[in-house]
Amino acid sequence: MQDKKIKIDVKNIFFEVFPKLSENEFEWEKEQKDYENWDSFAQLNIITFAESKFDISFSLDESIEIKSANDLLNCINSHLK
Amino acid sequence: MNIIDSLRNNVEKHPSKIGFIDEENNITFQEMLNCVEKFSSSELFKNKNQTVGLILENSIQDIIAYLGIINSGKIVHIIPPNITKKNFINQINSSNPYIIICSEKNQINFSNFDKDLAIYTNEEIISKSTIQEKIPNINKIAYLIYTSGTTSEPKGVPISHEMIEFTTKNIVKVLGYSKNDVDLTPLPLYHSFGLGCLHTSIYVGSTFVLLKNSNNLEDVLNSLKKYNATTLAVVPPTLTKFLKFENQYLHEKFSNIRLIITNSTSIPKKTVNDFKQIMKNRKLATYYGLTEASRSTFMIFNENSKLDESVGKAAPGVKIKIKKFDKKLKVGEIVIQGKNVIKNYWKNSIADKNLESGWLQTNDIGYLDNDENLFLVGRNDDVINIGGEKIIPNEIEEMIKQIPEIEDVVAFGINNEIFGKTIKINVIKKKNSNLDKTKILSYCLKNLEKFKIPSKIEFVEKIPKNEYGKVKRSMLK
Repeated sequence: MQDKKIKIDVKNIFFEVFPKLSENEFEWEKEQKDYENWDSFAQLNIITFAESKFDISFSLDESIEIKSANDLLNCINSHLK
Repeated sequence: MNIIDSLRNNVEKHPSKIGFIDEENNITFQEMLNCVEKFSSSELFKNKNQTVGLILENSIQDIIAYLGIINSGKIVHIIPPNITKKNFINQINSSNPYIIICSEKNQINFSNFDKDLAIYTNEEIISKSTIQEKIPNINKIAYLIYTSGTTSEPKGVPISHEMIEFTTKNIVKVLGYSKNDVDLTPLPLYHSFGLGCLHTSIYVGSTFVLLKNSNNLEDVLNSLKKYNATTLAVVPPTLTKFLKFENQYLHEKFSNIRLIITNSTSIPKKTVNDFKQIMKNRKLATYYGLTEASRSTFMIFNENSKLDESVGKAAPGVKIKIKKFDKKLKVGEIVIQGKNVIKNYWKNSIADKNLESGWLQTNDIGYLDNDENLFLVGRNDDVINIGGEKIIPNEIEEMIKQIPEIEDVVAFGINNEIFGKTIKINVIKKKNSNLDKTKILSYCLKNLEKFKIPSKIEFVEKIPKNEYGKVKRSMLK
């Protein structure tokens, strides 16, 4: 149940940061390079949103390594466990 | 014409009129001139050095000291009574006064700062008065006042009599001061706002009523009636605090006031709107200026609410330009030229670089609308450079303040290993609000470009501000 809630929250972060992203276009494995607007500022926005949502703090290395929704989910889970 | 000439004019025209009132005394123009002349005849002023320090408090005695030092041909280095030891030593090293004058209670405090300083009380100065053989020439510089710079180097601002005359005439012309006014001033005289009010009252021959403390709101409001005041000079936070009183009570207290003048710290819209109603058919005004360029604009609020956030148009004889740092933006650094602008700082060649061909670079950011109304946006120092994108905190703050659950917010730059800087916001939530950080971020993502989105949000109880309501950005973390 908890995992499902986290997945929904992560998906919503992507819809917040990329407002033009539709439900159909969202894929867990879709990479940064395949997003039209995922630049360094969008990366910062994703990190900030996730840190605020889950009350966690990513290291610099973790922040750089997040290149897909799946990466973000794994990173969040590693902090919550 | 200097400020002493203005005092003499008043003595010629109405010597027995009460010109100065404080919380303990009142004196006529004739009495003031007598006291000033006695003060300036003190043998302690028979010294070749030109600067005299004055710990300036709000009292008639200190007005006498201020005018007395000027009349002795010296320059007054104005020192705030609440100055820190470090700042005091810095300023003294820069201005190099041969004596310091203060009240008895301050003599002990300041002696502890520097044992070698010659510190005299007002009474000690007067006790050494002599018969003046000839009236000394008035120095071109009236006073020296220090501004808080961003570096440790103190920035002394020498104010000439010519600047005072130019500025005072503009104040009178725009705001309509006359000898019939009674000017209530609960502002510190060691600040150029309060001192400018004193000069204006002396220039027109009105009655200057000086209060010690603007925080005692009821006392200020009662004083309006007690002294039959017609004008009131206050900082914007005082105006806002007045609104806690009943509307009817305020209408009654302000019924005799023809002008409220405030200064350029941004005034909340609600304060402007409410006071426009209280002051209907009378003047609610503000100005923009720096110690280095006093009263550069004036704004008289009227029915046009689009201008409520403007600080108005350039004062007569003053030019204002916007030096844009990016052609795409309408905002840029405000630069000012006019007789109200200093020619140089006090022995400070680094600070003098802010003056180019008579144009003062203010370090303030703003823009002019099509009708040349000036709007302030922030300070150049406050600009946050994120990966080459320049961001003015004010823009972010104004946007985030639109969230109804937010009481106050401040945006500032924090170090970031990737971008150099990113934005942090400190937020005060309204009472009983359950606002969370993600709601703020969602709002930002919908309303701001992505490089302007804060990377850190902290809920705080208090945002550090100075007595004029300006955020103390150096204290933010």
